[in-house]
Amino acid sequence: MAQLRLIARRLIQLAGVMLGISIVTFLLLHMAPGDPARLLAGERASAETIAAIRMQYGLDLPLWQQFITYVANLLAGDIGQSLRFQRPVSELIQQFMWPTLFLTVYVVCLAVPPAVALSILSARNPGGTADQIVRLVGIAGLTIPVFWLGIMMSRFFGVSLGWFPVSGYGVGLAGHLHHLFLPALSTAVWLVPVLTQSLRAALIEKAMADFVTAARAQGASEREIFWRTILPNSVLPTLNLLGVMVAFLIGGAVIVETVYAVPGLGTLMIGALLGRDYYVVQGLTLVFAMSTVLVTLAVDLLAAFIDPRVRA
Amino acid sequence: MNRTEAVTRPLLEVEDLTVGFGGFAAVRGVSFHVQPGEILGIVGESGSGKSVTCRAAMGLLPGTARAGGRVRLEGRDLLTLGDADWRAIRGREIGMIFQNPASHLDPLRRIGSQIAAPIVRHLGVGRREAMRRAVRLLDDVGIRDPERSARAYPHEFSGGMKQRAMIATAIGCGPKLLIADEPTTALDVTVQARILRLLKDLNRERGLAIILISHDLGVVADICSRVVVMRNGEVVEQGPIDDVVSRPRHPYTRLLVDSQPSRRTYPDVKTEPLPAAPLLSVEGLSVSFAVRRGLVGRLAGKAGPFLALDGIDLQIAAGETVGVVGESGSGKSTLARAIIRQNRPSAGTIRLERQDVHALAGDALMAFRRRVQMVFQNPYDSLNPRMTIADAVAEPIWRHRLADRRTAERRAGELLELVELPRALRDRKPRQLSGGQCQRVGLARALALEPQLLIADEITSALDVTTQAQILDLLLRLQRERALTLLYISHDLSVVSSICQRVYVFKAGRIVENGPARQVLSVPRNPYTQELVSSLAQLGPKKSASISVAALNNATR
Repeated sequence: MAQLRLIARRLIQLAGVMLGISIVTFLLLHMAPGDPARLLAGERASAETIAAIRMQYGLDLPLWQQFITYVANLLAGDIGQSLRFQRPVSELIQQFMWPTLFLTVYVVCLAVPPAVALSILSARNPGGTADQIVRLVGIAGLTIPVFWLGIMMSRFFGVSLGWFPVSGYGVGLAGHLHHLFLPALSTAVWLVPVLTQSLRAALIEKAMADFVTAARAQGASEREIFWRTILPNSVLPTLNLLGVMVAFLIGGAVIVETVYAVPGLGTLMIGALLGRDYYVVQGLTLVFAMSTVLVTLAVDLLAAFIDPRVRA
Repeated sequence: MNRTEAVTRPLLEVEDLTVGFGGFAAVRGVSFHVQPGEILGIVGESGSGKSVTCRAAMGLLPGTARAGGRVRLEGRDLLTLGDADWRAIRGREIGMIFQNPASHLDPLRRIGSQIAAPIVRHLGVGRREAMRRAVRLLDDVGIRDPERSARAYPHEFSGGMKQRAMIATAIGCGPKLLIADEPTTALDVTVQARILRLLKDLNRERGLAIILISHDLGVVADICSRVVVMRNGEVVEQGPIDDVVSRPRHPYTRLLVDSQPSRRTYPDVKTEPLPAAPLLSVEGLSVSFAVRRGLVGRLAGKAGPFLALDGIDLQIAAGETVGVVGESGSGKSTLARAIIRQNRPSAGTIRLERQDVHALAGDALMAFRRRVQMVFQNPYDSLNPRMTIADAVAEPIWRHRLADRRTAERRAGELLELVELPRALRDRKPRQLSGGQCQRVGLARALALEPQLLIADEITSALDVTTQAQILDLLLRLQRERALTLLYISHDLSVVSSICQRVYVFKAGRIVENGPARQVLSVPRNPYTQELVSSLAQLGPKKSASISVAALNNATR
């Protein structure tokens, strides 16, 4: 019951956030330099042609009318036409979305298990040898730039050893896994230390919590205390951090996708920006914003499932 | 103590117990024993080693601690046990409850499952049967609607209910001994009385032996048959409670007994008729706080803002000492904060000599700040940790441009002398002082502006009882010497009744009773005041009658 109420509350909030996002993306395009009508008509078009195009696209209408048209189109699933590809933006995004989503899930799968294992190893004896090594390696992973690591790994594993392909998306699940391994690994290399730091700190803090002493006083074994009490109480901050990171990965895959030539949203974004393909940029902004909102919602619901206090 | 008990074998024997952390010995040569079915009290101030002693008996010391000596449970030496043997004893033979029940319950697990866990673990029964027993245990510890409460989470319980649930987890496997480490310190006085009554009932009905650890001799005297007095890691005295309280042999025990508010004598407070114009007058004061709710809640239009104070009328005459008592959440601190303009009233006025306090601005406001000063509950939190205490006391003087910095520093020195703080401590930071010393600094800082009205909000509740007595003596001396008007806010009725002329009793944002302190607190008219007074666990001649059955039935509130 409490969960249902929470979901209802969050969905109402979601509607407001969506409206805000659509206003911002709409205004972004209008504040961008350059005139889309002139761009469509070409460099040498006459003033009449431009005016005609303006009328045809409704660009001569007041801003609020344009906005209503925009929202109506959004609700109908129409987010415009790519100027460069001459295809609907929604179609383009659908085509380029899957490699990015696959890559994101791949990164999470590669990063979470080692992060959990390493933080447990570190937290077991804070300040000990294992903890120091994990921290030093983690700092190294954090400080190596993704683009550099990407280039080095594709040279070494891809070109010299020939183990993994250095570009593309592949065919079928096995192909995807094979092709995206290096991009996912070079992203996971900085994600693991971020998550490890967060979970390690929470584990150490909760290991000294009063309810752990109480469990011990009730005769629970250390193993039971760790898995049933310390770990569940520690995951929430890291879960929230992971949510932020996943949203960031979806929108921020630009570098790694460019280095490995993955046909994902990042690649599409770069192309659209360089080619002044305004409607694609607008559509992508919308998608990135919405994915952030949805990931946050998913994390919040998961948190509510774990922690009864969040439900209240 | 019963004669027959003396010949039976003790349940728990602690012999020459020593616990060291590194080079520091927290407990030295402690010996005592607990007979089956007995309630033993251990009293001492913070740092006296009473908690460490009991954690040693539970094998719950941190890894850095070294324990020596012998702890025997029914003849079996515990300190030499391995981890697996310890686990078979914890929760099965010895149960333990703690000071802060809120932090000792796992926030993510349902109450019922937390109570059932030790039963499954130790008695080898199935989950379903364990849950059934958990519900019965909740009923036994006096929680209403145990079936539903078992499915609740800790945050849905009140403080008293959490401690009851904690007791249920500790007694689920039928242990022979319950160690209760300050079980009522974090609770309101009426709740404290009910929890102590519950412990006494468990002791009588189940023959459960209890070690009650407390800093409060009044609580220990209330339910224990024997008492161990600890100080600086050593036992200074032990014996039957009546002997120790009425004929203390050790000077420290004598000091402890004499420091109890009910045992202290303060110069007789005279009750004069109020002068026509009071110094401070509060009329119809209400303070409300917006309750944070989501969009759905707002759309549904449920209950409005929370009223922390609801139409308070209160007067303080110049030179008077007025007490405000009530339990947590009754609005006492909100009143203090409203007087010093930290909370805006939603209705009503506060006047200081006819001036509306909340309408002040500019120079008049600065003058008001000088006339009204406040001392806070936690002395560490209310002082800037980066300032030396001499600077902290000097700061208000030069900030209000009463003197230049050099003169302010000299004045600060005089003030610190006034509050009897050793000269050597003046260049220390607050963290380097003890609680009592730090509270003296708080007093000196409040007095730096030579205020007319001093508001003291629970200024002794974070302090040990002997320190509390010293601070109260100091406060009363300062009040006499400087003709201060004092608003003394406290949950402690015995202190209020002994130092205040008049008292206001707060409950849920309203005043339920007021009048001369001695009269209100000796012959209370309001049922709530009566319950408060009867809940007092105190020593000595004023020992009150036992708690009413009606009060106990309200236990789960």
